[in-house]
Amino acid sequence: MALHAGGPDTYQGGHHGDRRPFRQRLADASAPYLYSAPALILIVTVMLVPLILGISYAFRDIQLLNPFSGGFIGLEHFKTLSQDQNFYRAFRNTLWWTGASVSLQFVFGLILALLLDKPFWGRAIVQALVFLPWAVPSFLAGLNWAWLFNPVVGPLPHWLFAMGIMAEPTNILSDPQLAMWGPIIANVWWGIPFFAITLLAALQAIPRDLYEAASIDGAGPVRRFLSITLPFLAPTIAITVLLRTVWVSNFADLIIVMTNGGPADRTQIVASYIFTQAFKRLDFGYASAIALVLLGLLIVYSMLIVVLRQWLLNKD
Amino acid sequence: MASIDISNIQKSYGIMPVLQGIDLEIQDGEFVVLVGPSGCGKSTLLRMIAGLEHVTDGEIRIDGRRVNELAPKDRDIAMVFQSYALYPHMSVAKNMSYSLRLRKVASDKIATIIAGAATKLGLGPLMERRPKALSGGQRQRVAMGRAIVREPKAFLFDEPLSNLDARLREQMRAEIKKLHKDLGATSIYVTHDQIEAMTLADRIVAMHGGSIQQVGRPLDLYDRPANLFVAGFIGSPGMNFFEGRVSVVGERSSLTLADGIVLPLPAATALQSGERATLGIRPEHVVLEPAAAGDIRARIDLIEPTGFGMILHLTLGTVSFKAFTLNRAYLQAGGDIGVRFPAEHSHLFDKDGQALNRP
Repeated sequence: MALHAGGPDTYQGGHHGDRRPFRQRLADASAPYLYSAPALILIVTVMLVPLILGISYAFRDIQLLNPFSGGFIGLEHFKTLSQDQNFYRAFRNTLWWTGASVSLQFVFGLILALLLDKPFWGRAIVQALVFLPWAVPSFLAGLNWAWLFNPVVGPLPHWLFAMGIMAEPTNILSDPQLAMWGPIIANVWWGIPFFAITLLAALQAIPRDLYEAASIDGAGPVRRFLSITLPFLAPTIAITVLLRTVWVSNFADLIIVMTNGGPADRTQIVASYIFTQAFKRLDFGYASAIALVLLGLLIVYSMLIVVLRQWLLNKD
Repeated sequence: MASIDISNIQKSYGIMPVLQGIDLEIQDGEFVVLVGPSGCGKSTLLRMIAGLEHVTDGEIRIDGRRVNELAPKDRDIAMVFQSYALYPHMSVAKNMSYSLRLRKVASDKIATIIAGAATKLGLGPLMERRPKALSGGQRQRVAMGRAIVREPKAFLFDEPLSNLDARLREQMRAEIKKLHKDLGATSIYVTHDQIEAMTLADRIVAMHGGSIQQVGRPLDLYDRPANLFVAGFIGSPGMNFFEGRVSVVGERSSLTLADGIVLPLPAATALQSGERATLGIRPEHVVLEPAAAGDIRARIDLIEPTGFGMILHLTLGTVSFKAFTLNRAYLQAGGDIGVRFPAEHSHLFDKDGQALNRP
């Protein structure tokens, strides 16, 4: 709106018929831009400058330990990256980590939301307790789960052993085959409340009489879920899954704290690989190049979800 | 089509009783209206018939079969909700065919049924629209369409017209009546609007405080209300009431109001001198006379012209009441007027509010 503040009367009769002095006209025309300038400048400084600087690193050789680095090297980092087997492994791990975490968080979150949607005695307290994990700092959650999996201090390996699921009470975080499950379980525990909260809010917005109408129309519980609950939840599901996917695929805290990418890089995801490159090898240029690739992939993914959501909303 | 028998139905939420011993037999093809003020339990009763509320005690039979334990979907009834409860993510056609699709009716047959209902309700050009693109009246029609395609044993209506504006309500009222005439389906209709009840019903069930006050044909309830509640609830503007003490002198009896005004009562009453009683008379039955001619004089406080006639707000002593007249000519607010309460239109209620039989 601010850009139109000059409005039709400013330009009444075009420039030829305008009898105001030039300086007056200039002042009138620039007023809206001057008013919005402080906000625009702030936004540009805070958002765009770091983004552009970060992107520029990807095309420069920036190594903190090498004082002669800093020069422009074009696509050199991306060439290296395309042959970097560690990156491909991290990428596969990212898919695995994100897919398993988000789908388990979603399934358990949905079940929890459906349970909490039904009235029962003490529901308010249970709701408050269920949302507690979300309030735990991720770093603390990671440490906590690392200890739970540790056979020296934690009970989990002993319980799994007692139930016959494990052959001996070992730490799954140090088992290359199983290590990824450690951070995934911690992440699921930590992330369920997010889905439960948002899906519960969406569930409670569904008018009750629709369920009544459907049950009179002849729908049993399963049909009612499929033809009323799911269509109503679909937009929320699409947007939360999108958000969580972007979030989780960038979310290296738990992995850094619990396994630090190990054993033998088995739990290294792209985000933790970027962290390792930037802050362990101090190769900021290469780290930025990987980050740029990850950004591109996530944008493509987001576009797909947005298109899918539109398609779902416009269907039938 | 089916009959519905309700015997000694009780409903309570916790210790709060909502319905206390409802007995009602609804004949096959009958249009019954449950009417009463909000909170009287009429909607609860309807929802119990639909299976949406648990029955605390008593028995509901549809076509002779006990349905207390049956899920709504197994009762073969259709319901029109006050909010219409249309499925917002489905087109009109999908909304109407939902129940048929659930019953696995063949799709060509569904198309025929839906087309028939659409013609009947004038929904033809709207079939592919979503509910949000429809007006209130159109949504109402879709809700009706969804009910009729089922050919259910009974139709249940839960205040279906209360979200419409006055003109549309009148129009839909007539359409519902016509639809019932065409289909001849057993219908139970809940409303708090006594005009809807009067115009639609074969039989009205007037409810108050969780129990049935009176059951009967609309004009029976209007002409012979069983108690003060029904007398006051049916009719608009409502019946006037004058409370006082009876005095019987020989053949003549009269009612003395709190401020000493004496009203003559219909000759033969079963009341004794000194008993408390209430005289009721409908506004349109109050006979207005020039002030000089009348035995009883009332002051005109206010005149409300309705176009069709005029509603007079009158005061007799300290009691306010209303009269309705078709005569526009000689009346003026602030003046006095003579009033007469003809015996043949007077209603008399004892101290418990029960109507006394007129001879």
